[in-house]
Amino acid sequence: MTFPAPPPQPEMVRGPNTTGPYKILVVDDEPDLQPLILQRMRRPIRNGQYRFVFAQNGIEALRTLASEPDIDLVVSDINMPQMDGLTLLEQIPSVNPNIRSIIISAYGDMQNIRTAMNRGAFDFVTKPLDFKDLRHTIDRTLRNLVEWREALASRDQLVMLQNELDLASKIQLSILPTEFPTHELYQVHAHMEPARNVGGDFYDVIMLERDHIGVAVADVSDKGVPASLFMMSSRTLLKGTAIGGYGPGQLLADVNDLLYADNETTMFVTIFYAVYSPVTGEMNYANGGHNPPLIIHSDGSSDFLPQIGGVALGIADGLTYRQSSIFLQPGDTALLYTDGVTEAMNADSEEFGTDRLQAIFRERPPRSAQETNDLVFEAVHAFAGDVAQSDDITCLAISRAQK
Amino acid sequence: MDINTVRTGGVLVIKAEGRIDGSNSADFLGSIQAVIDDDDTGVVLDFGGIDYISSAGLRVILLLAKELRGTNTGFGICSLSSAVQEIFSISGFDQIITVSDTEEQAVKSLQ
Repeated sequence: MTFPAPPPQPEMVRGPNTTGPYKILVVDDEPDLQPLILQRMRRPIRNGQYRFVFAQNGIEALRTLASEPDIDLVVSDINMPQMDGLTLLEQIPSVNPNIRSIIISAYGDMQNIRTAMNRGAFDFVTKPLDFKDLRHTIDRTLRNLVEWREALASRDQLVMLQNELDLASKIQLSILPTEFPTHELYQVHAHMEPARNVGGDFYDVIMLERDHIGVAVADVSDKGVPASLFMMSSRTLLKGTAIGGYGPGQLLADVNDLLYADNETTMFVTIFYAVYSPVTGEMNYANGGHNPPLIIHSDGSSDFLPQIGGVALGIADGLTYRQSSIFLQPGDTALLYTDGVTEAMNADSEEFGTDRLQAIFRERPPRSAQETNDLVFEAVHAFAGDVAQSDDITCLAISRAQK
Repeated sequence: MDINTVRTGGVLVIKAEGRIDGSNSADFLGSIQAVIDDDDTGVVLDFGGIDYISSAGLRVILLLAKELRGTNTGFGICSLSSAVQEIFSISGFDQIITVSDTEEQAVKSLQ
C-alpha cells in the first residue's frame, strides 16, 4: 500500500502574537523623542506590554523592519530627511505586509493625513504629542492587528483542514484494491470515482479458502471525515469477518452488530456481499439494504437480482440477513454498483436510472469484467455532461468465463 | 423546506413535499423538531408529496425515530410514493419504521 505524499503545509503568517509584548518601531528625526517616549511609556514597557525600537528616517526604518521581522507596529513622523513618512508607508508592505502603522502629523494637516490614510496608515496622532492619546491609539491599533492575525490563522487552519480532507480522500482511494486476481474461470474488476467531498463508497475483493472469492460493494449514508471513518471501520470489519469464513448472511449480521455497538452517529452503510465459487459459478449473497446487482448475460440482456430484504447496517442490532444464491452461466457478469450510478443527474435534472443502465449492455454485450465497468462509467459521464458529480460512483463486476 | 402540520386526537401529522436530500435534510429535521410538542402522543410523517429521499434523508428519519423512542412518542410514516416505497424497501427501512398506506391508518395505529 502506498500513501500519497502529504500536501504542502500552507505558509504560516508569523506565529500570531496575540499576547505581547508588542514591538513598536518609532521613526522620527527629532533626537528628543526617544528618551521622551521611553519615559512616558515606562509603565507599559515595565509591564512587558510594549518594546520600542527607534529609527531616524524612512530608510533606516525599512532596514530595521527587514532585520527585525517581529516588529508589530510602526509609529512614524511625516517630515524627515532622506525618506519621509509618506514614502515609508508605501514601502512597508513590501518588507512586512502584516504590520500596522500610525502616522504623526502636524495639527490640522488634513492633506498629509489623508495621503497617509490612503497609503495604508491605520490611524494618526497630531503634534504636539499627547502621550495618553498616543497610548490609546497604539492599543486600539494593536487590538485590530491581533484580530487580523487571528483571522489569518483561522484561514490557514481552514486551508489545512481542506488539505486534510483531500488527504483523507486519497487515503480512502488508496485502501481500495486496484489489482485483481486473475483466474481462468472468472474475471473481477472494480472502480470507484469519488465525488468531491470525501465520501462513503467502498468495494472489496477478498480471497477466501478453496479458491472462493468474496466481493462487496457498499455505500455509507453521509459524506465528510466522519463518514470516511465509518467507511473505513465498515470495510475493516467486513474484511476481518469475511476471512472467518462465515456465509454472507451471518457475516452481515455480525458486521451489523459490531457497527451498531459503536455507532453514536446514526450513520449507516448499505452493503451487498457475495461469495463466488469459480468452479460451479454459484454466487451466495446477502443484502444489507443495498440496491440489487444486475446480472448481465452474454447476449446483452440483463436482470436485477430479486430483492431478498435486509436492512442497512448500523441502524438496529440483532438483525438477521437472508442468504440466497444464483448460478452465473458461462459468459454472465454480475455488476455490483452504488446508487451514484443510477442517481447521476444530467443538465435537465433527470436521473440516469436503471433503464439506461440495462440499455448499455443491450447495445453492447460486455466481453470482460473491466469492459463492463468501463461501459458504465463512459455512459454515466456522457449522460451527466458538465453536471458536477454529487455522489461517489462505484462499480464492481465479476464475470464467469465463456466455456 | 415547507411543512404543514395538523393534530388529530393527540397525533401530530406532518406533511412535506418535494425531495429530501443532503441539501435540505438538516432543515427538514429542524423544522420537524420545532413543531413537535411535549403533549403529542405520536408523530406521523405523511410522505404523499415526497418523490425522492436520499440516504441523508433516511438518516433524518432514523434520528427522529430514535428521539421519539426516547420520549415514548409513537412514530410512523404513511402514503409513500412508489419511488420512496422502493427506497424504503431496498434499504430495509420499512422493516425498522412503521409504514402505513394511508394517513388515517397511521394515526389510528398511534392513538
